[in-house]
Amino acid sequence: MLERTACRRLVLLWMLAASVKAVAADRPIVELEIRNHLFHPAEILMPAHTKVKLIVYNRDPTPEEFESYELNREKVIMGGQRAIIFIGPLAPGEYPFFGEFNPNTAQGKIIVK
Amino acid sequence: MLLNTVIIILREVLEAALLISILLAMSRRLRVDPRWLPLSLLLGGAVAVLVGTQMRGISELLDGVGQEVFDAFLQLAIYVLLLCVAVLMIRSYYSQNTVPGGIAAAMGAAVTLAVIREGSEIYLFLSAFSADPDLRPGVLSGAFIGAGIGFSIGALFYYFLLALPRRTTLAVACVLMTLVAAGMCIQAAQLLIQADWLPAQSSLWDTGNWLPEGSVSGQLLYALVGYEASPSPVEVGVYFSAALLMVALLFWARYRAEAGGRKGERDRAASTP
Repeated sequence: MLERTACRRLVLLWMLAASVKAVAADRPIVELEIRNHLFHPAEILMPAHTKVKLIVYNRDPTPEEFESYELNREKVIMGGQRAIIFIGPLAPGEYPFFGEFNPNTAQGKIIVK
Repeated sequence: MLLNTVIIILREVLEAALLISILLAMSRRLRVDPRWLPLSLLLGGAVAVLVGTQMRGISELLDGVGQEVFDAFLQLAIYVLLLCVAVLMIRSYYSQNTVPGGIAAAMGAAVTLAVIREGSEIYLFLSAFSADPDLRPGVLSGAFIGAGIGFSIGALFYYFLLALPRRTTLAVACVLMTLVAAGMCIQAAQLLIQADWLPAQSSLWDTGNWLPEGSVSGQLLYALVGYEASPSPVEVGVYFSAALLMVALLFWARYRAEAGGRKGERDRAASTP
């Protein structure tokens, strides 16, 4: 009897570990595009307290630097290249970001709810 | 385009310029041959262009976080070199005549790496936007103005350090180097968090309303002490451990140098009857 409970517990633990690992591997993915020095979409929604994988596609021929003081992120994205940036977990709120090489036009924000 | 270029170039140049002015002031005080500076600027500039041209490949490495990891390791290497410079500085200050040979090499290597880090971004920006004939005049004049302001601030800082009394210069330089070095580590930590190599956490506090990172003073503090408005526990831990390690090494080097000095005096006293 005792052995059986222990066995069941082990299986339960293994399932829990497996599910946590699956969650880690399947981080929510949010995609963003840079076209003509503009972010599309300029506003993105993200769940609160969750780590998100942000993929930024730079469709322009020129490089851009994704930058945000609020998110503590900066990354150069070469023309025609895509970049992966991990973001969060974040508290609900608004987090602006911009393209450092074209800050007049390339503006956007992440809205965390 | 002019104003944007000024800001971008100034931001990149400022960090390197402040580090150079601290090291150059100490080099002057300790009578180290300053030839390491032009050599490291040339070498750093050349490698920066190379890194800039290879940025596409570097970014693709390590599942797309090659850029973060590369930059983080540059920052950590600068930290280690600054540790060496600080210890050698203390040693040469107390040993009066002899200047340790490694100090010029360590200073030069630190500046080379800083120039690679900041210069590759400048190269990418300039090469992309000065190719457009409409933007070229604004980009080029903006780059000259930005670099001019950055180096002027560095020069002012250099003369300020040299105007201090000799003993104070060493103390101020040690404090500044500790803060700059800890700033390098917090930047490295931030890059590794971005790459998902270090755990991402919620921030401990947020001073962004009080002193925004994007403001002029925020940028100056960022360049000098690695100011971060909303740091996470990992970043704060890294910053203070890096600073503490450097302070401990500095005091250890001073203790060793003073003990060595006393021993030297005793030996001299014993040999002269």
